[in-house]
Amino acid sequence: MTYALPALVFVMVALATVQALRRAAWWRLGAAAPVAWGAGLLALPKRYLVDVHHVVARDPYASRMHAVVASGLLAATLLTTLAVLPPLGGSRAYWAAVALAFGVTAAGSVLVGARRYPKRPKRLSGGGFQILPFLLLAYAFGGLAAALLLALGVESAVALGLAVALAAAGGLGLAYEVRSGPMRHAVAGALHLVAHPRPKRFEGGRPDAALAPLDLDAPRLGVETPADLAWNRLLSFDACIQCGRCESACPAFAAGQPLNPKRLIQDLVAAATADERAYAGSPYPNARPVAAPAEPFFRIIGPDARIHPDTLWSCTTCRACVEECPMMIEHVDAIVSLRRHQTLELGAVGAKAAATLDNFRGAEEPGGRPLTARADFAAGLALPMIGEREVDVLLWLGEGAYDLRYGRTLRALVKLLHEAKVDVAILGAEERDTGDLARRLGDEATYQQLARANVATLAKHRFRRIVTSDPHALHALRNEYRAFGGDFEVVHHTAFLLELVEQGRLTPGALGGAGVTYHDPCYLGRYNGETEAPRKLLDRLGLDRVEMARHGRRSMCCGGGGGAPVSDIPGDARIPDIRMAQAAETGAGIVAVACPTCTAMLEGVTGRTAEVKDVAELLLAAVEAGR
Amino acid sequence: MKVAVLLSAGRHPVSGRGALPRLEAQAIRLAAALGSARGLHAGPDADVVAEALGRGLSQIDHVALAAGADPVPALAAVLRAAAPDVVLAGRRGQGGDDTGLVPYALARALGATVIPDVVAARPGSEPGVIEVEQALPKGAARRVVARLPVVLTVHPAAPEPSAFAFGQARRGRIERLDVAAPAEPAAAAIAVAEKSYRPRPKMMRGAPAGGSAADRLKAATGGGEAAQANVMVSPEPREAARAILAYLRQIGVLAPPPGAG
Repeated sequence: MTYALPALVFVMVALATVQALRRAAWWRLGAAAPVAWGAGLLALPKRYLVDVHHVVARDPYASRMHAVVASGLLAATLLTTLAVLPPLGGSRAYWAAVALAFGVTAAGSVLVGARRYPKRPKRLSGGGFQILPFLLLAYAFGGLAAALLLALGVESAVALGLAVALAAAGGLGLAYEVRSGPMRHAVAGALHLVAHPRPKRFEGGRPDAALAPLDLDAPRLGVETPADLAWNRLLSFDACIQCGRCESACPAFAAGQPLNPKRLIQDLVAAATADERAYAGSPYPNARPVAAPAEPFFRIIGPDARIHPDTLWSCTTCRACVEECPMMIEHVDAIVSLRRHQTLELGAVGAKAAATLDNFRGAEEPGGRPLTARADFAAGLALPMIGEREVDVLLWLGEGAYDLRYGRTLRALVKLLHEAKVDVAILGAEERDTGDLARRLGDEATYQQLARANVATLAKHRFRRIVTSDPHALHALRNEYRAFGGDFEVVHHTAFLLELVEQGRLTPGALGGAGVTYHDPCYLGRYNGETEAPRKLLDRLGLDRVEMARHGRRSMCCGGGGGAPVSDIPGDARIPDIRMAQAAETGAGIVAVACPTCTAMLEGVTGRTAEVKDVAELLLAAVEAGR
Repeated sequence: MKVAVLLSAGRHPVSGRGALPRLEAQAIRLAAALGSARGLHAGPDADVVAEALGRGLSQIDHVALAAGADPVPALAAVLRAAAPDVVLAGRRGQGGDDTGLVPYALARALGATVIPDVVAARPGSEPGVIEVEQALPKGAARRVVARLPVVLTVHPAAPEPSAFAFGQARRGRIERLDVAAPAEPAAAAIAVAEKSYRPRPKMMRGAPAGGSAADRLKAATGGGEAAQANVMVSPEPREAARAILAYLRQIGVLAPPPGAG
């Protein structure tokens, strides 16, 4: 009877392997993708213990629960297999150690159960996940009882049999769940960390957020069916544990638009699996009716497919879901690749978005405005065009230059640059839009055309670095143009102004202790990891800076990214209203912004009590006060 | 129904880059509702109209012409051979000579009916007939039933063009047609002087030349008319109906009574 428990564990491992292999056959239906297996395997412990746990630990209960139950489960299972070695199988001390491991698992299982019973938090999924604690409890307590009997030397075949039977009920259930149940996340998650489509995100430094260029000569553009997704993307969706952290971070979900990142990932799984279990988490808010066909590998998007187009176009590409995902799933990549198919192959974009894309193609500018009018905001200011001479700073104006409100910010920035005697010039009519918006709307063809044209223009001129106040332009110029041969040093205006202040070239006075809260732009914070410079700058202005609950890399989007304003999917609330309400909770009279889109979105909030000011405007006021 | 969509080498009104005129993109959408459509372009280069392939056309016929040549004889020759039931065109070019006469000249050459300013078109209730909705000034519209073949020009109020799809543009084909267009005496080149555009104030019809700003505003907004509006207090129904009919005739919504001349 000593061998009953190890035998069970071997059967469990065999069953889990069979189930995992059945699932692996499904992953192989995806498209080919290059994977550095060796490097991935070597990096697995660090990716799991550092990167994953860094995210998991934001929910301390979940972190402790997972550490206890996962380490207990692994240790107990591995230790038990060692019982086949003769000296160990008969050792009571060994069985005491096994009992200890099962005891830890049991404690963890109680934590898992306590999280879901009596009341399950809203963001967690039900269904199979509600059965998981019972399987864990059965396996842990059955194993604990069996190991204790052996450790104490109690010779009762009936008692041991009952204990092993209990462990078998739980353990075999857990192993069976590896294919389509909650335990799938363990196997798929580990493999996903090895074969992650963005291995650079684990290397530290700046976040790896640049979209991969699309091969415009490919027979089919973008993702139509799950078979168009790379196999390691399919694998990544299987890693989802449905913890719902993404849905609590998603601005579109909060605003009642029909998007829930968790549901989206599960829909992508279900779109490719005929017998996937029914989804049991929170739905898409105000879900649009779809008629999902049962056949797998049908096209994914459409009113007659699994995901309604409104769901796809609700995304602001703010990457909050990616930032919060403990399983390191890349939701935004999936959304953009789906959008690419809609836009490039079907022309299925909303009317306002289509008009914007027409402007991009016809006038190289999303508003269809003349490129010569971009610098009109600077009327009366000396702002030279770049010429033959090398300049220190090329000021990239971006789309905000056409906006009357944002023109004030840019005027403040230009005045500050003059005050600090910076050698600055602009491209003038040679500056096209970066195409960021076209790319997020899935129009990769237009984007690539603009990117190549801009890279060629910039290559003609001599400058030391580019300064821009638009984080979207910054992200394009700094990270995404690299794939098109553009390698520039690009600095955000907040970082550049901080540099000037630190060098003593600007001497701000004090602004008299007004309350200010800083709203992080997604494309600066999450996409580029820059959250400190604007804060340091604000702290030098004699302002009383307070933080919103969501700030830094976990900040909430203003609702202006990813073409959401032109796709304009109706919801219950507006995202900027929600964000301004969060700002109002801090009691600060000023919301400091650092992005033209955030400025427009937050200033467009009706009945707001706080003023919306760019960091540059505040700095200019302080510099003028210090004179 | 066989449909041909005339495509012109337009220029974007802001950037001046080559672009498909919006009306022609709308024409493609109208054509899709009628039947199988082909594009037709006469000019030196077909690349400028390739955008139409991404708007729902799968094929464009291209007649090579020298720059500045009159496209009408070549287009007429092609259309006579292909004999489409419906020819759709924009109202006028965009950034070229922009005379707006091509649809009319073609209709005359083909012996087809021309219906300008169409906002919707569908096959008629019997074969050989088309039913179109034609836009009239001041938001009015009327339904016209015409015998095929017809030449239709598109009004800006027609449905939005379908969005450009790069993948479809990539798959579309441009076929070069060799047409021996009947040689016509080339029209004498018109001497043109180019100068940059200068915005000018819009002249208002019937506005008093002098008077105060308030007077001019009154004249522009019809404030004066409202003061002397025909107010009838509990009139006889017949009388009221007559007044309404008279007013509708006056503003041109109803046709004048038969025999009124």
